[in-house]
Amino acid sequence: RVSSDGKPPKFQPPPKPVIIDRKTQKEETRFLSPEFIPPRGRTDPLKYFMERKDMIQRRKVFNIPEFYVGSILAVTTAEPCASDKSKRFVGICIQRGGKGLGATFVLRNVIEDQGVEICYELYSPRIQAIEVLKLEKRLDENLQYLRDALPEYSTFDVNMKPVPRAAHEEIPVNKLQVRMKPKPWSKRWERPKYNIKGIKFELPEHKMKAAQKWSQPWLEFDMLREYDTSKIEEKIRKELSEELEK
Amino acid sequence: MMPIWTKSGEKRAVTLLKVQDCHVLRYVSKEESGGKTAKLLVGGKNVSPFSKPESAHEIFKEAGVPPKQKVTTFNVTNDAIIKPGTPLYAAHFRPGQFVDVTAKTIGKGFQGVMKRWGFKGQPASHGQTKTHRRPGAISTNKAAKVYRGKKMPGKMGNIYRTSFGLKVWRINTKHDIIYVNGSVPGHTNCLVKVRDSKLPTYKDCNKNPPFPTFFADGDEELPEDLFDEEIFQFTDPSVTFA
Repeated sequence: RVSSDGKPPKFQPPPKPVIIDRKTQKEETRFLSPEFIPPRGRTDPLKYFMERKDMIQRRKVFNIPEFYVGSILAVTTAEPCASDKSKRFVGICIQRGGKGLGATFVLRNVIEDQGVEICYELYSPRIQAIEVLKLEKRLDENLQYLRDALPEYSTFDVNMKPVPRAAHEEIPVNKLQVRMKPKPWSKRWERPKYNIKGIKFELPEHKMKAAQKWSQPWLEFDMLREYDTSKIEEKIRKELSEELEK
Repeated sequence: MMPIWTKSGEKRAVTLLKVQDCHVLRYVSKEESGGKTAKLLVGGKNVSPFSKPESAHEIFKEAGVPPKQKVTTFNVTNDAIIKPGTPLYAAHFRPGQFVDVTAKTIGKGFQGVMKRWGFKGQPASHGQTKTHRRPGAISTNKAAKVYRGKKMPGKMGNIYRTSFGLKVWRINTKHDIIYVNGSVPGHTNCLVKVRDSKLPTYKDCNKNPPFPTFFADGDEELPEDLFDEEIFQFTDPSVTFA
């Protein structure tokens, strides 16, 4: 280096190392249950505010764990007709629907060679416990194609033990490609409208190409369908964290 | 609309109605109006004065209240007269009460006979020529005329209709919201008139309602939420059947 005025250059200490704490970074994008995000519409936001108050109130008393479509859950509900007055059902979550207090999730299992799907309401007072036996995600948001898949993909042991999971770990994505029963299926899952990535299609090439006829490539560029929820989500997350701490 | 659950675990649907800036505008005595009872004019939601003609501003100036979007009349007995200018709140109603809700239905425009009156129409095939949703015959031969009031195509909706006997499940005094059982005519965010039910089964169901109305500057301190006895409150633990 060229020294100024012939004197040796002033000692520059090395830059301090920047420590990126992975754990705090992950807490920033914490899980927000999808039923909290209000749908796009002309309803007064006050209505969603009142619903959220009730939802938070229920969550304070009863723990609704974080789960995704594809995780295996066990739900105990109160049944007036059962001998023990309660019923436990284990299954894989196929879909999560509804917004606000009416949010539902459908669990599927195959019991004694009979496929059974039960739709539970998340905030119903008849639910006594929800345990997540295995927390994982799948390649799709909607696993209704399991109805047309081989039954081995929907059978889960009723007395399954919960799979332990370390805290602050990324949620594993199960990239399982499911094999289907022979056609006809309940819906034409090969069509691009369903956009399914979790099926191993063993159909001939010309059928897969013919299904692409129903593709709508302009849909992803349609600006009127855009619904940016990032700011809404931030506000709701703040509200939730404040209320649950009380 | 929102779901609520009863203490036995059954689900009911409720509509949320917000009481937004309601004020009593004028008292019309029985002789003046010419009816059987005295009337009270009540105004709804606040609106800018430019949307109303100057002639309509008089009532609001007398009462000392900003101009309202809707003005309705309530038939009142002589002991329930309220001074013009008093605000009306959701706490006027109590949970467990039964209520009639009137509103203008959603306008569907000019509609055919199948949608408007529920006619069956004609089959889609088997030789029908240009006749699938038509009314068919409109009168008999002997009548030699079409009767008045014959169901025919026309403008559907956008008329006042009432849902009777709706139970009030919950009242929120902080935001002035009434949770009313079932559905209510009208689109979301439309103006609605809520009255005590006139059905004979619910004649004696009101036990000590706030009479003539709930006054905010009175001594009564109400909790933020008033629930009906049968409603499941989310502060309680989950329902179990013994």
